[in-house]
Amino acid sequence: MFFNLISRNSKRSRKENGLFFGSLLISIIAFYIILSLSGQDVMRFLARMESDAVNRLLSMIPAFYGMTLFILFFLIYYASKFQLERRRHEFGVYLMLGMRRGKLFLLLLAEDFHSSIAALLVGLPLAVLLSELISLVTARLVGLGIIGHRFTFSPTAALLTAGGFLLIKFVAFLILSSRISRQEIGSLLTEMPEGVKRQRPACFYALAVLAGLLLLGTAYAMAISGLSWSDLARMGLTLLLGLAGTLALFWGLRFPVTLAVRAAKNDRQLHVFNLRQIQETVVRRSGTLAVCSLLILAALCCFGAGVAISRFYGNSEQHVLDYTFQAEEGIEIVSASPEEDAGAADISPMKNDTGTTTISPRGDGTGAAVVRRILAEHQLEDRFSHLFEMRTGYIRTTEDYDHAFRMDPVFSALEAAPASEERDTLLNNLGYATYPHLIALGGYNQLLDAAGLPPLQLADDEAAVYIDRSFTSSGQIALLNDILASRPEVRLDEDSRFLTGKVQTVDLVTDSSITLSFALILPDAAFEAYTEGHWDVYLNGVLAKDETEQASLMSAISEMNQALDQTGLSYESYLQNMGRQLFYMVASSYITLYLAIIFLIIANTVIGVQFLISQQKSNRRYRTLTRLGAAYPTLCRSARAQINWYFGIPVAVAACSSLFGIRALLTGILSARAKSSLSEMMVLSVAMILALCVIESIYITMVKRSSDRYLLTLMVPEREE
Amino acid sequence: MKPILTIEALKKYYGKSKNQTKALNGISFQVMPGEFLGIMGSSGSGKSTLLNCIAAVIRPDGGTVTMNGRQIQTMKGAALADYRGKEIGYLFQNFELLDNLTGRENILLPLSLHGVPEKESQRRLAQLASYLEINDVLDKFPAQMSGGQKQRVAAARALILKPGIILADEPTGALDSKNAKALMEKLAGLNEEQRATILMVTHDSNAASYCRRILFIQDGVLFHELRRNLPDESQQEFYARILSVMAQLGGGSANVL
Repeated sequence: MFFNLISRNSKRSRKENGLFFGSLLISIIAFYIILSLSGQDVMRFLARMESDAVNRLLSMIPAFYGMTLFILFFLIYYASKFQLERRRHEFGVYLMLGMRRGKLFLLLLAEDFHSSIAALLVGLPLAVLLSELISLVTARLVGLGIIGHRFTFSPTAALLTAGGFLLIKFVAFLILSSRISRQEIGSLLTEMPEGVKRQRPACFYALAVLAGLLLLGTAYAMAISGLSWSDLARMGLTLLLGLAGTLALFWGLRFPVTLAVRAAKNDRQLHVFNLRQIQETVVRRSGTLAVCSLLILAALCCFGAGVAISRFYGNSEQHVLDYTFQAEEGIEIVSASPEEDAGAADISPMKNDTGTTTISPRGDGTGAAVVRRILAEHQLEDRFSHLFEMRTGYIRTTEDYDHAFRMDPVFSALEAAPASEERDTLLNNLGYATYPHLIALGGYNQLLDAAGLPPLQLADDEAAVYIDRSFTSSGQIALLNDILASRPEVRLDEDSRFLTGKVQTVDLVTDSSITLSFALILPDAAFEAYTEGHWDVYLNGVLAKDETEQASLMSAISEMNQALDQTGLSYESYLQNMGRQLFYMVASSYITLYLAIIFLIIANTVIGVQFLISQQKSNRRYRTLTRLGAAYPTLCRSARAQINWYFGIPVAVAACSSLFGIRALLTGILSARAKSSLSEMMVLSVAMILALCVIESIYITMVKRSSDRYLLTLMVPEREE
Repeated sequence: MKPILTIEALKKYYGKSKNQTKALNGISFQVMPGEFLGIMGSSGSGKSTLLNCIAAVIRPDGGTVTMNGRQIQTMKGAALADYRGKEIGYLFQNFELLDNLTGRENILLPLSLHGVPEKESQRRLAQLASYLEINDVLDKFPAQMSGGQKQRVAAARALILKPGIILADEPTGALDSKNAKALMEKLAGLNEEQRATILMVTHDSNAASYCRRILFIQDGVLFHELRRNLPDESQQEFYARILSVMAQLGGGSANVL
């Protein structure tokens, strides 16, 4: 009998409060997904490329897990509290019938356990499925066909999920049930009316709204201007201002609602009733609504910023080269002794005592020839469509590092240009370009050819400007291009030279072995003269088309890497570059999306459950309305209008705030070069906010359905004596 | 004169075959315009079921309820809601004021439910408020009113749309004797001065003595009827007669028939 009661009660709870059960499922899924992150295809792939970063990310998982437990504890506590509150009368009856408090506690504990197990049984398989799906989708999105998907079920993750979930359920239950079981039977049996909140004069609330808006405005101004990001205290102050502003705004909201009630016409169908209901909930729950609004804001910010950042890293590089072989410092054919003094080696490869073969570093291109030979020996040369030397060097004809290069006409033109942030940055950055790197035109033109761009034509007394994209923005390049169009005359080691063409930005090597903030591209003869025959050589390669057409680029590079590893050549491939981008993309999107979803779930569940519970508490009002002639559709319309307002207020406040919030977040966390595309990212963020509004509307629809179902039960008259 | 309300062979059964309770087992009566009719009976006699059937809150299993010549069983959806709001005014034992609305908003609530323009009812509101002496509580919330004030506000709400009949379900049930007397005087006044038709279900013999006619129900059937002989019979005498029938009711039908 006792067990029957348990299973029936917990089944009833699940049915009556589907929203709550749904959020239990989602929390289980959230736990599992974060815990099984290391098993995801992308993560396994990245662990090979960027193992340090991945390990650091994975080492943060316990912290994330702990935080998730902590946040979800409040959700579960809150939802369980309402669930138990609803059954007060029932508990009173059990006690009246002679059930001992200990037994009641046991009954509730067993029910709780029953529903937790049910949630786990449904939730865990769903979580595993979803985790696999995410793994597959992300792998597909980034083109990781090479790895081959492997089904992963992580028993540790499942155990930790179940353990964490049961733990927070149990703690919440202990606190709640001890409260319930301490109460008098009489107070359990009678419906406790909610205490009337003290009303203050209307001017207090009006002032609160004003103060709230003011505080929020200050907080966002501080964050967007970048002031908050300068130190921790200021950031704390900004957060405090934002929090206080939101709380004050919600506390004062009853003022505009009261005004609306006064202005409302009594003949609009249940309009006054709806406004009074909203007023009541705003009055009673302004704090909770404010917190929910902040959670939604946090979710929106995480989502918007996460997507913007990952998109930025995903799109930032133009891909031309697949391979760069380092020939300038010697190639180790047989890796054995990395401490080898490369400078002492001969031009041709030779075996030394340690068994390591090295090649001359003299910068005359011989090293590159050896690489070519080794590639040819392994029949790998044919697999490249382009294989060319990129030569860079220093000005060796002078030792006056501060004045080796002067471009006074460029500075004058810049100073004459209208004032802008870009102009000031350029003036500052170019001020340091007194001893630039030099790049040989021949190699650079081959690079342009590989990129499908027209070659650069330079006369003997001309030079082109090269700036790596990571040091500049499109605005700066445009400004500089305008100046270069006038062919300014500059001095390179006191020789006159004309800058011409557009600013060049194509990456010189595959990944990161060299990035130049400012360099001059010179005709080969001039290059050789200024460098006095000392230069570094990077042998760049682009895989042949038929290689990449057969398989995806990723798999072609991967396969080539395996072949190259056999040769002992040291090289960097596009895979590393891509790995880094992927890591930023995956890390930022995983973490931000995860947090966004958790925050959203909590806020929406709290708002939804709170509405439904307050609706159930005011069931008498709805019954009275029925008696006064309100038809079922009228009641549904009324409740739906209230739900729109109830969700709408916190969501609207959050959405407005998020426009500022995401901007502030981007100001703080993006690097200088990313800031230039801030407006583009803002557009993206707005799109994400719209997408999230769609999610909100789905939640709202769910709550509306639930409310409709509940109202239908009120249409049956209750016998009263 | 045509009756405003005709109940014919009204039946309402709860439960199935063996355990069936016959809450109403073929009740028939009529209510004439301007009549103040009381319905008395012990707990479980079927009074509330009868009132609920007339208010179209529950559907009877047999018989008909005809209001102003229209059978309410044939009504559906909007017509039914309109009937509940406009043709009948309902006065509850527990007042059933919405506690988050002021007195005025509570009284005007039926208007918003049935799309009646507010202007039309402003005069009616002023009239009712002064007659029922609730002017000073119109802008107060129910929690700030006394029991008597609440019931008078509820009465104003029941009357605001000038319903054909007022159904009062134990209106004095939650009031002390002083407030109960004041309310009954107001209802009797409305009946006499404005010829309002009132159908009141009550336990309270004192409240019932304000009626012109009383029907006694037991076990779902009409069991007795009392008429006050106006103008000869005083309220006190009528009250004494009601008490004697109530005493017989206590022993069931065997005591009388």
